Amino acid sequence: MPVIQRDCTIVAHKHLTGDLWRLELKAAYIAPLVKPGQFVHLRIPGFEQHILRRPFSVYQVDVEKQAICIIYRVVGKGTKHMTELAVGTDVDLIGPTGRPWRIPEGAKKILVIGAGVGAAPVYLLTEEACACGIDVSVVLGAQTHEELIFEDEYRALGANVVCTTDDGSYGIAGFCTDAAKDLALKAQDEGAPFEYCAVCGPLPVMRITAGFTRDMGIPCEVSMEKRMACGIGACLSCVLDTIDGKKRACVDGPVFDANEVEW
Amino acid sequence: MDRVLLHVDIAGLHMKNPVTVGSGCFAAGREYSAFIDLAALGAVTTKGVSLHGWPGNEGIRITETPSGMLNSIGLQNPGVDHLINEDLPWLAAKGATVIVNVAGHSVDEYVKVIERLEDSKAQLDAYEVNISCPNVDEGAMSFGSDPKMAGEVIAACRAVTDKTLIAKLTPNVTDITVIAEAVEEAGADAVSLINSVIGMAIDAKTRRSVLARGVGGLSGPAIKPIALGMVWQCYKAIDIPIIGIGGIRTGIDAVEFLLAGARAVAVGCANFLEPTVTLEVIDGIEQYCIEQGVSDVNELVGALEW
Repeated sequence: MPVIQRDCTIVAHKHLTGDLWRLELKAAYIAPLVKPGQFVHLRIPGFEQHILRRPFSVYQVDVEKQAICIIYRVVGKGTKHMTELAVGTDVDLIGPTGRPWRIPEGAKKILVIGAGVGAAPVYLLTEEACACGIDVSVVLGAQTHEELIFEDEYRALGANVVCTTDDGSYGIAGFCTDAAKDLALKAQDEGAPFEYCAVCGPLPVMRITAGFTRDMGIPCEVSMEKRMACGIGACLSCVLDTIDGKKRACVDGPVFDANEVEW
Repeated sequence: MDRVLLHVDIAGLHMKNPVTVGSGCFAAGREYSAFIDLAALGAVTTKGVSLHGWPGNEGIRITETPSGMLNSIGLQNPGVDHLINEDLPWLAAKGATVIVNVAGHSVDEYVKVIERLEDSKAQLDAYEVNISCPNVDEGAMSFGSDPKMAGEVIAACRAVTDKTLIAKLTPNVTDITVIAEAVEEAGADAVSLINSVIGMAIDAKTRRSVLARGVGGLSGPAIKPIALGMVWQCYKAIDIPIIGIGGIRTGIDAVEFLLAGARAVAVGCANFLEPTVTLEVIDGIEQYCIEQGVSDVNELVGALEW
């Protein structure tokens, strides 16, 4: 169950690269509750004529500091306004919300794909998996080297990290889905296939990943991004089509079984 | 000063305070019960329910606009049997007063939904007939924008229930008082207004409408002055009670509606920003009464001064 915490204080806020920003909040009640893949719904202070909260996946949790970290991309007026929030500002959060990632019981080897800002919502999952001794291969994709984020952070977890850039300015040139598929095929050929795949990124990345993992029999989960209003399951703004009819991204997701989604 | 009397009577619907929620902004209350006690509200108004359920519209379904939001949900609902079997017993167990919002594509569908609810003996306190949703192609607003058809739907619903019958009106008409008079004449016990205002958002970069269906319903503080004006116009035109809706976020917003002539109010999309907002509105009304020396909230109804 999500909670409301009105006094989450901004403890760090910095520009990462391009239009990506990193916001760290002390949220004593929410931080210990967060499971990998869940999000928080943020009320932007000083933004009164804007009447909706903004949902952000949790990137990192620091239990000792009781802090959570989100990565956001400046896409509209709300996120533009957020860039001006100073350290020390109190922010109102509802969370953690949504269905988390679920690694199948007993899985020993998994594949994680984070494309663009999608590198953030799969970090906690990777951290948890690495801590459990699971062999994790992470494919991080971006359009350019400058936009590629968190390579060092993922390496620090002990994951096998592969980077791709669409323009070939860093790592493997080409789409992250091609590199991920190659990894998956190689693992299969070696007789040690991936037992789970988690992917977050632009819709085509998730759709393509859903396709090749299905063909290879690898259970795959995706994190769907939809416009939200209430963020708690009431308003039906964020629905998507699934094989079982319309489902709410906020509480039935954001993480869905890839085979459940009508692509 | 003693406690302020907050109880209001909407033609037999007893509300412990004048605050309910806007249909569609609160589902059947389940999600909000994690944050507030539903029994503390004057009433819970459930999301529009049709006979066999509707899938709703394709996305994008919402977009934020200056001081408001546009929605095009399209009355997605699982049908009246789900409400009867799952939601109404749950709401009864929570001790909530319940207004069921009823939707239909035809006069017959509205009637069948109410008949089904009456036959089920499910616990509910009033019906709100949705003749005003702008986001469905047949029924709803097309009934509510024509006085003859609005009267026809209400008369047909009136014939199958003795419970409090509220007609929810659309602002997307030339003169809302004509519709209000027509539903009063047809036997409505009360009216609620306004439903959302037709609007549109366009992305100039892509030259496309933001909402998949083009137009949607505008709600939020942006429409509060429209709603206040229409409540006041209707208050002068009809004798039945009015539930005021449109952009209410605070106790003072609610008081403004009461002064304009509403006997109760519904809080709509403010719930999305603030799941506890209804309780703040109730407290705010009480606080206003204390400060103004008002002992009974009913004294405020239509108490606009000149």
